[in-house]
Order: sequence, then structure tokens, then C-alpha cells
Amino acid sequence: MRLTALASSLFLFAITACAERAGDTTGGNTGGTLIVVQSGNQPAPLLPPLAIDVVSRNVIDQVYDRLAEIEPAMNTAGDRGFKPRLARSWTWSPDSLSVAFSIDPRARWHDGQPVRASDVRFSFELDKDPKTGTQVTQTIANIDSVTVRDSLTPVVWYHRRTPEQFYDFVYQVYILPEHVLKDISREKLGTSDVIRRPIGSGRFRFARWEPGVRIELLSDTANYRGRAKLDRYVVSFAADGAGAVTQLLSGQADLYENVPPDVIPRVDSSGKVRLFRYPGLQYSFLQFNLRDPKRAGAPNPIFGDRRVRFAVSMALDRQAMLRNVFDTLGVLGSGPFPRSIADTSVTLPPFDRGRASALLDSAGWRTGPDGIRVKNGRQFAFSVIVPTSSSPRMRYAVLIQEQLKSIGARMDIESMDISSFITRSEEKKFDAAMGSTQTDPSISGIKQNWGTEGMAKGGQNYGSYSNLRFDALIDSALTSFDAARSKQLAHRAYQTLVDDAPAVWLYDVLKIAGVHKRVRRVETSRADGWWTDVADWWIPANERIDRDRIGLRPAQP
Amino acid sequence: MFADAFDRLTGWYRRLDTSVRVALVVLVLMYLVALLAPIVAPYSQSEQIDIVRMKNHAPSLAHPLGTDRVSRDVLTRILYGARVSLSIATLAVLVSAIVGTLYGLVAAVAGGVVDTILMRLLDAMLSIPRVLLLIAILALWNPVPLWMLIILLGLTGWFDVSRLVRAEALTIREREFVVAARSLGARRSRILLQHLLPNVLAPVIVATTLGIGNVIVLEAGLSFIGIGVREPSASLGTMFQEGTEAFAGTWWAALFPGVVIVVTVLCVNILGDALRASLDPRHLPRVLLGTPTAAVPPPATAE
Amino acid sequence: MRRFVAVRLFHAIVVMFLVATVAFFLIHLAPGDPFSFDNPNIPPALRDQWRAQYGYDRPVLEQYVRYLGSVARGKLGWSHTMHAPVSEALAQRLPRTLLLMGLAFVLSFALGIRLGVYEATHWRKRRARVTNAASLLIYSLPDFWLALMLLLLFGYWLPILPAGQMVDTLHEYMSPGRAAWDRVVHLILPLTTLTLLLTATIARYQRAALLETLPSDFVRTARAKGVDERDVVRRHALRNALLPMITLAGLAFPTILGGAVFVERVFSWPGMGLMVTTAIAVRDYPLVMASVVVGAAMVALGTLLADIAYVLADPRVRVR
Repeated sequence: MRLTALASSLFLFAITACAERAGDTTGGNTGGTLIVVQSGNQPAPLLPPLAIDVVSRNVIDQVYDRLAEIEPAMNTAGDRGFKPRLARSWTWSPDSLSVAFSIDPRARWHDGQPVRASDVRFSFELDKDPKTGTQVTQTIANIDSVTVRDSLTPVVWYHRRTPEQFYDFVYQVYILPEHVLKDISREKLGTSDVIRRPIGSGRFRFARWEPGVRIELLSDTANYRGRAKLDRYVVSFAADGAGAVTQLLSGQADLYENVPPDVIPRVDSSGKVRLFRYPGLQYSFLQFNLRDPKRAGAPNPIFGDRRVRFAVSMALDRQAMLRNVFDTLGVLGSGPFPRSIADTSVTLPPFDRGRASALLDSAGWRTGPDGIRVKNGRQFAFSVIVPTSSSPRMRYAVLIQEQLKSIGARMDIESMDISSFITRSEEKKFDAAMGSTQTDPSISGIKQNWGTEGMAKGGQNYGSYSNLRFDALIDSALTSFDAARSKQLAHRAYQTLVDDAPAVWLYDVLKIAGVHKRVRRVETSRADGWWTDVADWWIPANERIDRDRIGLRPAQP
Repeated sequence: MFADAFDRLTGWYRRLDTSVRVALVVLVLMYLVALLAPIVAPYSQSEQIDIVRMKNHAPSLAHPLGTDRVSRDVLTRILYGARVSLSIATLAVLVSAIVGTLYGLVAAVAGGVVDTILMRLLDAMLSIPRVLLLIAILALWNPVPLWMLIILLGLTGWFDVSRLVRAEALTIREREFVVAARSLGARRSRILLQHLLPNVLAPVIVATTLGIGNVIVLEAGLSFIGIGVREPSASLGTMFQEGTEAFAGTWWAALFPGVVIVVTVLCVNILGDALRASLDPRHLPRVLLGTPTAAVPPPATAE
Repeated sequence: MRRFVAVRLFHAIVVMFLVATVAFFLIHLAPGDPFSFDNPNIPPALRDQWRAQYGYDRPVLEQYVRYLGSVARGKLGWSHTMHAPVSEALAQRLPRTLLLMGLAFVLSFALGIRLGVYEATHWRKRRARVTNAASLLIYSLPDFWLALMLLLLFGYWLPILPAGQMVDTLHEYMSPGRAAWDRVVHLILPLTTLTLLLTATIARYQRAALLETLPSDFVRTARAKGVDERDVVRRHALRNALLPMITLAGLAFPTILGGAVFVERVFSWPGMGLMVTTAIAVRDYPLVMASVVVGAAMVALGTLLADIAYVLADPRVRVR
């Protein structure tokens, strides 16, 4: 284990070293400005532990570094799927309960200070401290401590050996500058200046920020991994999606990451913009509440019955809805996970309205005089909560409403803003919800969303689905070091869950971005963000426009 | 009596400007069509014809105004949307008219300290920007059912009406016939009902007519930013908003609802103007109801 | 006069206190809070921790008392979306809205009064009837609709003007001349929208007011004295007909503020209007509170100024 890890990391280091030298020969291609437009104003706290939205993760991935970086394959087991970043290499202890990283001696913070092992220790302790208030704390529970062997060698100590122990630390913990953050009280991080003026070690450094208007980054020319090829990377905000598309088409912005499917033909025919698809880690579904929202503890009068949930699953033409919302660009939901990281061979309920009706009949739901099914005097009528912020989910709700009429079910749509939606979900006050879940590259999050442990207050299992067999299978899969066996166990866990039909798996959130044609992109998109390689994007000298020629000079105040 | 009123009405219609006549006819048609939407609409309200093959179709013979993104007929949706928009606007201004009239009358009749307090309260309410208030309520307290939206729109729109009514009632209160009634020992409530109410109705009717246009625009605006009428019921504003999301690709889904909004509001305003100008509000009851009104006071002179 | 202003100011302050109180409970009792934002990754337990950290888990009454206390100490709170004290956010955003509103205000009063006078004095002429119809049409256009149409027309189909925002993203790198030009081109569309709408309103009022004054005795007297018709309008009739304009100016404040909300949104103009709509959407309570109070203050101030101007301008009121 230890030797292979070392060998592979050295090998990978060699590759990146080569890549960097190759990068130097294209030195004439440095320069240029990339403007990314975002719809809506996102708060974007620019400190990794407090990152909550797409913009903050995007900017943080440019400004801060992790010790090692996951490869696009998103293999979270072991350390083979990782390439060096701040750490040039790493060495496991014989018992695999600790790993020593060797920090690149050339690495500097953007204020000129060298990156030290003590920064790693500090970052870990910050993330571990409940007072910081970060979601990272729970994901690094297996890590006991970080010690400093020498100024460039931090050592990470684990409680237990697990398949994902390397990923747990390396992916979740960004390395932060101790000298900048140490004097700030941890409860006050959220209102401190560092979340507005980040100082990291990444290939872009922070330049300025006008909240709700733009965030501007500049190439860090003295970076240990080589300067970012672009001079300038700007995230600007439009009031809504339509405004963002207009800015992309008019050339005011170079990239918009969420071109709605209906506009794609228009964007495509503009001739100025190239479209690219990028995978995500988010999947959306119609979730049933298995408990009665009105009487605590009682099963839901409609969806407490597995047959009813299964019938609804079979009554919905998922393929047609996908075509309607995403044209040919959608990805059909394949279970309680995004397709990009998990098993896609799970058998889902087929689309068969005849069988759906028969199943409902057998469950005691008989068609009433007005065409709506009735059981024990209760109509098959329920409402679904939908967040208006999600245009695909709103559209799916309208489509589902119409399709359910065919099996004698009446669904009312309760659309609300995202804040109310979250509150209603947390309070479990709904019969059905147009839900969506974003996962980490690891599948371990599934326990929080669909496992019995997520049902407790503060958990994310809003539909209160519980099956001990599923829990046990997932636990075994996550603790198995044998990749094939782990996969097999996970498959059985998924099939168990899917057969219980706690939700209808609608689609994977897969977004289409449009980028100005003069921008040359590195074609490997990672599922956790299209932006991870932006530092290697470039604009050919002969295609540059005015804003590409500004150079690195700072802005006038 | 009804025949009499009808004659007066047709006579009034004949004396109207062409533009006003057109506006009146368009509006009456609009209300009729909206009322009869289930009968005149070519498709059923929520019918999704074929969500894969028939979505976003440009206007054609089968669908004169095209289809929307979930393959619903845009013409049908507009008819039902107009129904929602017009009902909301009409009911909301009715709420405004009732509340405003009562408030103004009470202030005028009570007078003294009550009047002062009521008017100060009114000032306070007038100083809240209506749009901001509505945005705050609707965005925070959602989903808001349709009847609640109507009440909210109504309750934020009566301030002007009550001012008008109070001013009108104050002048009428001092007129001879009211003074006479009072000196003959008529009860307050009787004076209120028999003399003040019919006479203040004129400005209320004008303000209400013009208010319909305002409320249609306001509701459309709120729906446009996604917090007014929401799926699955749709007003013209909701449809316009949905359409603009993909305006670049499917212009018809936004253009037609938008045009209907503009035409409706224009007609309402033309009509309101006509009511106010060609018919001085003070003469309106005489035209519609045939009741005598007091003479118009001469305009104040400064020189 | 001084007493009048003092009393009105006192009223305004009472009103603002009432508005703030009502707004506070309206906002804080609504479902959701600043930490119920969209991120399925964040466990509810952590959201609860944040709520506790910023005091949003306390009873609303306690939050209200605490809020009053901090406002009394001159602190408006911390804005989670702007990552700055609320006062700082307001100081940055308010001038931009005032710029837009102020320019629209001045322009449309200048244009509207002229247009109204023209329409009233030439009301029999065909051209005046056309402009009257045009101003009625514009008056009937929904603000968001007009804004969006202008945006699509000049920012998209015929892309000669920028499709939004106040300055170019790289404004700070421009030469002073180009930077100034950049500001102008970004201002054109939102300003045109607001000005068109307000001009139409003012013209209609001015026309009506003047048409009402023209048949009055004093105008007839002036005419009889042989005063030139243009002077009759300008010196006698218009003077009187301008009085309602003062009231209108005060009343137009809330309208234009509401219009600015839609216009700022369509054109991504980073002013108060855009800030408050996004702040409401993400439940940035302190920022919403402050914006509501500032909005109410602007309206109250507008009305007060209009009243003072009215008193100064109208001798009849002054005598009383």
C-alpha cells in the first residue's frame, strides 16, 4: 500500500512536472481576460470552510490549494485517484493510520510568506472546531490530529483505517494561511475581512470584490505551479438568467455556466459562443414523505404504502419529461446518486400506466365518480412543494401534475421560494417534494439522505425513508477495502432502496455552459466544477479583443 | 326605470369619441371572453398536447399563437390568463373602493380628533412604497393563495380613494340639501346613506376604473419577478415571465401575453380618462343613475 | 413655517418607527431565515448552529428589542449577502438609485411640463392629439415590459447599447474619457425607461391642470386686458396650473421608487432596488429592514418637501 502510493504519487508528480514544462513553451499565450457571468446575487463567502454556493467554490478553487487534487475520474478510494498539489508527495506509515505530506518548498502565500506545515495543522484545527461552523467538521470526523514533523512535513493521523481516509482529508481540507487567520475569533470568521479578501496559494490571486457586482482575480505570476495563463478572471452578476444569457450573447461576458435548454439553439446559431456540457454531482427527484405531515409518527395516508409509491413511479413517463425539459441533452435519473460517480445498472420501475393502475386498484384505491381515486373516504389528492428558484423542477412539477391525472391522482403544486422550501423540508411538512441533492464525490453522503440515521432532527432524510437492510449494505460497502466487493454491496443497497420507491428518480443535473469561442479550454471537466482547470485556459494572441490586452496592471480605484 | 337607464346609457355611448368606443368594446369583449374562457378556448386549460413533439411550436393554424414549453396552446393559456388577471384586478379594486369609501366617509362624518387620527394614519400608510411592501409580503410569505393576493392588492390601494371620498364628502356635507336634512332631524346614518354615499360615488367610480389598469400592471410586475400568481394558475404576467426566460428562442410565448396586458391597460385608461374628462365625475351619477346632484362649485380664483 | 416643518418632521419620525416595527415582525415571522439558502449539501444541524450564532433562533420579540437597541447605538447590523455592515452597503447602493431616479425626475419634469402645456394649449390641433395619444399609450405601458422591450431591442437584436449593469465589468481599466462615455451608455436604457414613463404621467397631469385653469376668470381677464396669448399661458394660467405639479412631485416619489425596483432588475442596475429584491429572496433580514426604512424615509421626505414647496408657492395657503 505504502510503496504503491509513493510510487504512484512520484509518477504523477513526474507527469505534472512535464506538463508544466510543456506549459512554459506556450508562454506567448499568457494574457487575456475571462468574464464569467452568474445569475442572481450569491453571497459567496470566500473562505473554504464557509463556502456555501457555486460562486464561492469557484473562486476558492482558484485562490486556495489543497494538498492533493482529485483526478477527473473521481475515484475516492485510496490515493491513486489523486495528483500532487501543495504536497509534492506523501508517505504512509506502516499501519496506514498516518500519512506524512511533503509540501512544495516553492509554495508561497499571495502575500509572500512561505506555506508551512503549521498552516496545514492550523487549517485542520480550524475545520475541526465546531465553533467555526462548517460542514467539513463532520466529514473529517475520522481524523484525529495533524502534527508538524518539520516546517515542510505535516503528518495526518487517523482514528481508523477506511477506504476513503485519504480523500477525507485531502479533498475536504483546503490549506489556509495561519498567519492571516490565527488572530480572528472562530465565531467571527463569517463577519471578518478575510472572507472578502482571501489570501491563498493558488494560481490566481484575489484582486477586488464589489458585492453583488463582481469578483476579480489576477494571475499570480510568482506561483510555484506557474502563473495562470489568463491575466484576469472575473465573476460578474446579472439579476437573472435572462440577463446572463443576454450578456453572453452580446459579448459582455465570456462564459455562462447554465444556458437553459430552450435557448441553446439560439446561442448555438449566434456563432460567437461554443457550448460545452459538464457533469455535475446533483440529482433531482420527486420525493414522497413516508410519514404523515400532520400526525407525528403515523405513516403517510397515501405514500406510506410502497405499492402506491411504486405505482406513481410507473405512471410517469420520465423519458418524455426529460426530452421536454432538456431536449436531447438531459441525463435520466438512475437512482439515489448522480450517474457520474455511481452504479448505473440498478433496475428502476418501468413506465407502465396499465400496471400502475392495476397496482393502485389492488392497494384499495378505487376510481371515484369524478375520476379521482378514493380509499376509505380519502381522495388521492396531495400537494407537491417546489422551489421557484429551480426552473427545471418547476417545469417537471407541471408535467407530473398532468401525467398523474391519467391514473386518477390529483396533485396540486405549491411553489415557493427556496428559503420557504428548505424550511418546509426541514420541518417535514409536505406530502411530496421536488427534491434535489448535491453529493460529494464520495457516495458516503447517501446515508444522510436516505439512511435511517438521517431521519433524526438535523438530518437530511426529509422523506423519512428507513430500511435497515439498506443501511447495513451501505455501511458494508463503505468499509470494504475490496473495490469489487464494495461495488457489489453498493449495488445491492441501491437496488433495495429503489425497490422501495421512496422517490421517482427524474434527472441528473447536467448543465450546459456557453463560452466565447476565442477562449481555449482544457477539455477535462471535473464533476465537482467546470472551473477546476481555469488556470490553464488561454486565449490565442491573434484572437484577443480589447479587454484581453489590459495586462496585469491593477485597477484604478 | 331600467329602460330609462338603458336609454341614457346608449345615448351616452353615441356621444363618445371613437377611441373611447373602441376601448369600451375591446374591454367588454375582453371581459366576456375571459368569463367564457372554458367555452371559447380551443383547448382545455392545462392540456399538454405532446410534451416531446409539440413544445415551443411557432404560431400555426392549429395553434394561432403557438405552443409553450410544455406544449400547451398559448391562445388558450392567454384566455385563461386574462381571466385570472382581470378577476384579480377587478376584485382588488372593488376591495379598495369599499375600504377606501368607508374610511373616507367615516373620517368626514366623524370629523374632529377621529378625522385627524385617521388622516395621520393614512399619511403613514401612504409613505410606504406600495411595490416594496407587496414585494416584501409576497416574497416572504409564500405561497400566497389567489384570494389573499387579491386582498393584499386591494388593501394596499385604497388610500387615494379614501382621500378623494373624504374631500368630496366634506364639501357635500356643507351643501344646502344635507344641511336641510340635518336641520330636519335626520339621523346621521340616514344622511350618510342617503345623501353622502351616492354623491361621493362618482370620484370613486373614476378612481376605480383607473385603478384596474394600475392593478393589472402591478400584478403582472409581481408575477414577472416570480412572486405574484404562480404555477399552476397563470396570469398574463406569469406567462410573460415564463416566456421571457426563453425569449431568444420562443418569442411568441412572451410577446402575446405582453401585448394583451398593454392593450387591456390602454383601454382601461382611455375609458377612465373619458369618464373623468368628457363626463365630469360630478355628473356621472346623473348619467348612470339619473339622480340629481348639487351644482358644481365655481373654481377658486386667486386674482 | 418653522413650526409646520417641525411638526411634520415629528410625524415623519413616528411614521418611520411604525413602519420599521411592522416591517420587522412581517419579515421575522415569515417562514425561512438567512440560513435557509439553497445548498442541499448543508445539514440542517449546521444551519441551526449558524442560526444560534447570529441570534435568529431567539424569540422574535427579543430579536426586536435587540434590533432597536443596536439601531439606537447607530448599528444597522451585518449584511450576509454583501459581507459588510448594512450602513456600508447602503452607502454604496443608495447613491446609484438616487442618480437614476434624480436624473429621471429632472428630465421628466422638464419634458413633461412642456409637453403638457403644448397639449393643453393646442388641444384642438391634430399634432397635439397625436402626442396626447402617445403619452396615454406610454402611460399605460407596464414598467417592466417597457424596460425589457428596450433591453431586447437595443441590447440584443440591435446590440448598440450594453445589456445591463451600471458600468462595464472592466470600467476601472478605461481611460477617463472612455470611462465617462461608458457610464453614459449604461445609463441610457434605464434612464429612458424611467423618463418615458414619468414624462407621460406628468404631461397628462399638466395638460389636465392647465385645461382646467384656462377657462378661469382671471385668465379671461388677462386675455381681455389684451395680454399676448403666450404670456397668458406662461404668466397667468401656468403659474396656477403648476401647483398640482408640486403635489405630484411628492406623490411621484413612491411610484418612481417602485419603478426603479423593476427597472434595476431588468437592467441589472446595482442600486437599492436590485439589492432589496435579492436581499428579500435570500432573507438578508438586516439589509431588508434598513432598505424598507430608507424607502419609507425617502417617500416621507419627498412628501414633506412637496408640502413645503406648496406652502412657499401658494399665497393662499401661506396666509392661512
